[in-house]
Amino acid sequence: MSASDDQADVERVLAGDISAFEGIVRRWQGPLINLAYRFCRDRGRAEEMTQEAFLRAYRGLGQWRKDAVFSTWLFALATNLYRSELRRIPARSVSVSLDDIAEPADARASDGGLEDQDRDLAVRRAVLALPAKYREALILFYFHDMDVATAARSLGLPEGTVKARLFRGREILRGKLTQRLAVPRLKEA
Amino acid sequence: MRRLIRYDENEMNRILSSEDEILPSSGFAVSVMDAVRREAAAPPPIPFPWKRALPGLVVAGVAMVLVLVAGIVAITQLGRTSTSAHFPTFLSLPSLMPINFHGGMESAASWTVLALLVTFVSVKLSMRLASGRV
Repeated sequence: MSASDDQADVERVLAGDISAFEGIVRRWQGPLINLAYRFCRDRGRAEEMTQEAFLRAYRGLGQWRKDAVFSTWLFALATNLYRSELRRIPARSVSVSLDDIAEPADARASDGGLEDQDRDLAVRRAVLALPAKYREALILFYFHDMDVATAARSLGLPEGTVKARLFRGREILRGKLTQRLAVPRLKEA
Repeated sequence: MRRLIRYDENEMNRILSSEDEILPSSGFAVSVMDAVRREAAAPPPIPFPWKRALPGLVVAGVAMVLVLVAGIVAITQLGRTSTSAHFPTFLSLPSLMPINFHGGMESAASWTVLALLVTFVSVKLSMRLASGRV
């Protein structure tokens, strides 16, 4: 994905060639859908939100100031939309409370512990059950390959705020997961 | 022996970084482009006719300020007369009000008719402005 391709397509769209927008859609549909999916865990809704994000990007192309990379602007726009959409109508899986997470599928599996798959699922469900500001910071941080600066730009927040939210989010996760996942082993001990 | 599962930083990073990627549906890009073309083909939203509305807004603003000032003056005068007199003058209308207010039912009806007329004219005028016939 090249920034110059984005810039060329944007200029063509602004000059009246709507079909040039397809290049932008094809380049960024994957990342934007995956980001939306991490927010809502619903494929259909992720595609709907992504379509709306592209429409908003189309309407606001003229507002993109070329001092920032196009993808940064696009991700910030999409993130803003996903956050407000999920605050308006929360994802079904997000409505799970933190106390309901990490119930093991089989508490006796693998020598009293959880299978890796169950454990990974428990961690992901725990992230979705976090309060919105911590959840959003964690989702963006891991989506952008653990790059705090990029996550901060997407969220439109200072890096320090994102770092603080990541720290607090991880603390809550660690506390809840240790507490919940430790139960089967404690029973066996 | 008691053993707690501790998720250290690396373990949590590994789990949360290794998300499965989902692929867009086959017709996704086409449906986005259809929506974009519909958006482009739609007529632009009608801007509010500020030029035409401005005189009316100014008149309305001035009238509102005048009514407010008249009201405040009337209330102050009412307070003065009620403290100086022995009878309950607050029941009578202040002298500052237009002479029509001092009349009976007939004058009240005429004011009501006038208000209705002004409302009717302003509604008709705004409808004509909205439909672009003026």
